[in-house]
Amino acid sequence: MHKPLLQVEDLRVEFHTDDGVVRAVDGVSFNVAAGETLGIAGESGSGKSVTNLAILGLLPRPPARIVGGRAMFDGRDLLTLSQPELRRIRGRRVAMIFQDPMTSLNPLLTVAEQLTEMTRLHLGHTPRQALDHAVTMLEKVGIPAAGRRVHDYPHQFSGGMRQRVMIAMALSCKPDLLIADEPTTALDVTIQAQILELIRDLQRDEGTAVVLITHDLGVMANLCRRVAVMYAGRIVEESSVDELYSRPHHPYTLGLLRSRPRLSGGDGRLRPIDGQPPDLSRLPSGCAFHPRCPFVVDRCRVERPALLPTPFEGRAACFVSKEVAAAAEVELD
Amino acid sequence: MIKASDAPLLEVRDLKVHFPFRRGSLFRPEHGFIRAVDGVSFSLREGETLGLVGESGCGKSTTARAVLNLIPPTFGEVCLEGEPIAGLSDTAMLPHRQTMQMIFQDPFASLNPRMTVGRIVGEPLKIFRPGMDREGRAVEVMRLLDMVGLNPRFLNRYPHEFSGGQRQRIGIARALAVGPKLIFCDEPVSALDVSIQAQIVNLLEDLQTQLKLAYVFIAHDLSLVRHISDMVGVMYLGRIVEIAPADELYRNPRHPYTKALLSAVPVADPQIERTRQRIVLTGDVPSPDRVYPGCPFADRCPQVRDECRKSPPKLEGIAGTADVHQAACFFARD
Repeated sequence: MHKPLLQVEDLRVEFHTDDGVVRAVDGVSFNVAAGETLGIAGESGSGKSVTNLAILGLLPRPPARIVGGRAMFDGRDLLTLSQPELRRIRGRRVAMIFQDPMTSLNPLLTVAEQLTEMTRLHLGHTPRQALDHAVTMLEKVGIPAAGRRVHDYPHQFSGGMRQRVMIAMALSCKPDLLIADEPTTALDVTIQAQILELIRDLQRDEGTAVVLITHDLGVMANLCRRVAVMYAGRIVEESSVDELYSRPHHPYTLGLLRSRPRLSGGDGRLRPIDGQPPDLSRLPSGCAFHPRCPFVVDRCRVERPALLPTPFEGRAACFVSKEVAAAAEVELD
Repeated sequence: MIKASDAPLLEVRDLKVHFPFRRGSLFRPEHGFIRAVDGVSFSLREGETLGLVGESGCGKSTTARAVLNLIPPTFGEVCLEGEPIAGLSDTAMLPHRQTMQMIFQDPFASLNPRMTVGRIVGEPLKIFRPGMDREGRAVEVMRLLDMVGLNPRFLNRYPHEFSGGQRQRIGIARALAVGPKLIFCDEPVSALDVSIQAQIVNLLEDLQTQLKLAYVFIAHDLSLVRHISDMVGVMYLGRIVEIAPADELYRNPRHPYTKALLSAVPVADPQIERTRQRIVLTGDVPSPDRVYPGCPFADRCPQVRDECRKSPPKLEGIAGTADVHQAACFFARD
């Protein structure tokens, strides 16, 4: 395996709220190698977005507090850097795209102004160079008549085009790592297919590593080689994409996979995961998933399972992961 | 003469909703119409589900609102249990609201935060069962809550005390309160977490069996629509471009737009994803403020030919399907 580009170790983030302390991220560790795509899946409140905002120094503190862990990027711990130091890395070496391109673009500035700011700041471009570069980037992400449209405002673009502008902006300094948080969730499927293809092409051509955060297991299967599943602030399973979808070792992963109807049809009654996602300020004892888990044993109620290697080069945090995997092989056939 | 039981519960013919707009400067105004719904026809029987799919702006939600008379239709006929209802006044519409109800995408926005669950679900009863006293209403509300899988003791709680999935159950209980035969479900699960979506879908299916409900199920999630629907209509720019029984449509799509839409859905299976042939459409959904002389899909269609730009194709039955499978494409047979 390549030397990791980003190495997150035991990250812990808390929020201080009126309801008490909420542990949004509770000991998360993962690596991303250069040029690799890691998918992080989970539902709202699972901590997948907070993890990445924490790494990028974008969490408002307070109410958030990073209470532990490291995020090593190129030999430096991102969690200990000052804001000016982080600003030199963000945008230049690590870039982000978010779910809603309208709220991430400044409506008062033209696309040209927003795209050129980055390269002038980070790459020392002259205004002329920066504008040429901006047009090149817009062409690369497939915006027609880029030379003219670069002077338009965000509201003059459609949703899919705005997301392309975001991607052009994120990639304009050729970052080593792109963090994409639900990049296609707000888009229609035909536009989603275009954006996913665009991310894949850019990754192949530029060798950018990607962390894709999504709740959509289909999008993840399409784009990622390695995937992690989060639940209640922890990674509960991590493995290669093929393993995860054919032989999950955590009951939550299995539950997610079998609760969705298939495009190919032929499903009988759907099999939901029982109960509700947990309230992070009142987490269940033991394994946070145990009240919803069909495989639960007594031990799950009192002891929290550690994330341990599976026989198939993955990791899972479950006492009965062998039984789960065996059941999954039968059911997901 | 048609026997009452043979008549469809809902029949929609050539429904159009055009919104006038004015743009340009004060001195050189430009007038026109947004053709949000532009000639939609379908019918629905008791206990049946029609799925409507399509991308944002294709007119699926406006179709629902126009059938319900929440937006007055510009043109076309809507018959509910054989009675024409298009364009009726609010008062004249009132009795029909007992037959047709709606549940919404956003369970946060569609419940009044200042009302208890008891009042939210009980409100329709006040209007439609004026003879019912307070106690009778409370009993009925508890029965409804139980029916949608909520603890009847939650009667006096407020919406914020519930999770998204539970709130959607409250919305369903409210729709059921008047004893409808038809419910329009507009993206009823898309705001919910994946693990909760299946719970709500199962509930809708159980209620359908129990109460013989018909649904018009509007969603952009094509897997889900296949699962829940008997018939599926694909909409593009305010029109149904293809309609067929669900399995037939997914197995044997005829319209190039349906083909592209189905091929664009990511599937939760990495092995299939790697080998799948994907039809990636170029461009965005075009604007409904233009009048298209030909097929509205022509600009994005990978199989476009000259005749497509000259006259619009009609929604016509595919040979050999006894007209249950219809597509609006000159080359749907190829």
